[in-house]
Amino acid sequence: MTDSRLRSGHQPLDDVLGGGLPANGISIIMGLPGTGKTIIAQQYTFRNASPDRPAVYFSTLSEPLEKILRFGQTLSFFDTSAVGTSVFYEDLGLVAGRDGLAGVGDHVTAVLKQRRPGLVVIDSFKALRVLAADNAEFRQFLHQLAGRLTAFPAASLWVGEYEADEIALSPEFAVADAIVELATVPLGQREQRFLSVRKLRGSGFLSGRHGYRLAPEGLHLFPRLADIPAAGSYSLGDHRIPSGIPGLDPMLGGGLWPGACTMVAGPSGSGKTVMGLHFIFGGAQHGEPGVIATLQENPTQLQRMLGGLGWPIDHPAVEFMYRSPVDIYIDQWVYELLETVERTGARRVLLDSLLDVRAAAVEETRFQEFMYSLVQRFSRQGISLLTTYELPSFATGQNPPGVDMSHLSDNVITIDYHHDHGTLKRSLAIVKTRASGHTTDICEFRISPDGITLNGTATSGVEPAPGTGA
Amino acid sequence: MSGPGGAAQEGRPVYSISAVARMLDVPVATLRTWEDRYGQVVPARNASGHRLFSRYQVEQLAFVRAQMSEGASAADAHRLLAERAETGLPLTPPPARPAPRLLILLAESDPYAAEFEEYFLTTEGFEVAVALGEDAARDAFASAAPAAVILEVLISGGEGLALCRCFRKQAGVAIIVVSAVDVTEQAFDAGADAFLRKPLDPLQLVSTVRDLLRSSAFLAR
Repeated sequence: MTDSRLRSGHQPLDDVLGGGLPANGISIIMGLPGTGKTIIAQQYTFRNASPDRPAVYFSTLSEPLEKILRFGQTLSFFDTSAVGTSVFYEDLGLVAGRDGLAGVGDHVTAVLKQRRPGLVVIDSFKALRVLAADNAEFRQFLHQLAGRLTAFPAASLWVGEYEADEIALSPEFAVADAIVELATVPLGQREQRFLSVRKLRGSGFLSGRHGYRLAPEGLHLFPRLADIPAAGSYSLGDHRIPSGIPGLDPMLGGGLWPGACTMVAGPSGSGKTVMGLHFIFGGAQHGEPGVIATLQENPTQLQRMLGGLGWPIDHPAVEFMYRSPVDIYIDQWVYELLETVERTGARRVLLDSLLDVRAAAVEETRFQEFMYSLVQRFSRQGISLLTTYELPSFATGQNPPGVDMSHLSDNVITIDYHHDHGTLKRSLAIVKTRASGHTTDICEFRISPDGITLNGTATSGVEPAPGTGA
Repeated sequence: MSGPGGAAQEGRPVYSISAVARMLDVPVATLRTWEDRYGQVVPARNASGHRLFSRYQVEQLAFVRAQMSEGASAADAHRLLAERAETGLPLTPPPARPAPRLLILLAESDPYAAEFEEYFLTTEGFEVAVALGEDAARDAFASAAPAAVILEVLISGGEGLALCRCFRKQAGVAIIVVSAVDVTEQAFDAGADAFLRKPLDPLQLVSTVRDLLRSSAFLAR
């Protein structure tokens, strides 16, 4: 074979599979009913079938062939003109019912000889197991079928309603060259779909759970964002850039380093988002396009907020990306964000807020891995990131409790309220800057139609960062 | 579907120079001279420096030979070949001609592979004798005098190359060594005319047998 991979036609899926499924191998697509096994099998079928190297799709004892065809036609890639010329559907269930497992093996062999296919799908493979009187008979059938399929230059997809614990118990998994699991995982009141590669001979693959959605176009995969640490060094600009937040740059020792990640943490209504908007619109004024990625304010809410502060929602250098935090797929969201950043040439990104991202990521380790990858990607490209994190009120100037993003952030700014003669006042402090000095002042500020205004100036002076002499 | 059967198969180096010489009835030395002098049909080389010709290259050389048999000089025949390449004209398509009923010995270790190979060769008009072990293969080779042998390297636990050396001593028989492992070099060192990697594509199997037996309609025209 010149091409030892069976491609799906969906690049992210092929990437996760290290290029594709084995072109001359047996691959199992497993998952409970409703996870999209038949859809992905049909996707491979229509992507790879040609008159010279057709695909044969066997239904068995699970789903009637007519049903597979009926629902198959709702998929955009289902090409009716290919049926009967490049794609052949057969009801193996009829053969199985009449002649048992021996008949199934013989019939598959006869079809291989007659059609000379490049792809053979058996859906459902698991359903064939009931035809065996005992395990010995099923293993014998499996050995013979695998032998025949291995001797013929075709890829084979065995689709089955297997559960994860069957991988260690069912002999077909030992025979398989690749195992792809589709699963629906409950997350609170909702569910998310995940694809995992459980086995892939002859190739590396992207491990872990990858979110996916099912659409008329087929399976749409969002590979887990899991960047490894940069192999080599990369250079960032050596000139600081203005933060965009009036009065803050002197406290930061002269501004932000390009590509830095700055976290603004504070209680609800303390001004985190406004600070982020200063960061974006201030950057736009200095020729740095920005993206506001928000899971908080919807367009109407944001328009009202921007209007009150004198910023236009349709600023040509600012892209607004709002997604509802309800039923969000974190991986889909991040790919949309990366695409938006690339398309707009953005140099600044406001991520509002981390709490929503953390909720969507489901697991703390996933959230950490995800944010690490995102921060690394942006940092390598010199794209500055400002994240917001909502916390209960705490003492200004202390590292935010329970926020595990602090170590991933180059700069941490905390905001809090305090009482002053019956008035609630805001104050901020810089608790961390990386490769830079910063003041240790707690600085009051107010928010007016002109935005943020710091009261007074820093008095403590900038403490040098260790080793920087700054 | 990408994979066997297409142009890639046509371009894959498969045949030794001695096999090509037999197929075309052109001396090995002449093939080398044509390669050096005209530089148009340049075979790949394996790690030991053996020349490996693709099926397309065999067709190119057959075109040259056909032109020469009609009176063209070697230089003119190569010039005509170059013109074909420049203009994109196909080499003359083969006239249909049924393959003769020649006997192929299938010396296999895998009964499932043997079943497919036997089927595809039989449907193309060949007679096939199947041997699933070394002894059976030796017996069949001695008694049936096959025109070609398809020999699995792993037969009887790995006796394929030894069998190849043994069968090679008999002039005129075409030997195709097959294996899932890429042992091209060892196969040619053992005297194979062609090496095919498993799983075998039906089309390539049949076309290779035909070529080696000069029963390929195109090569035999």
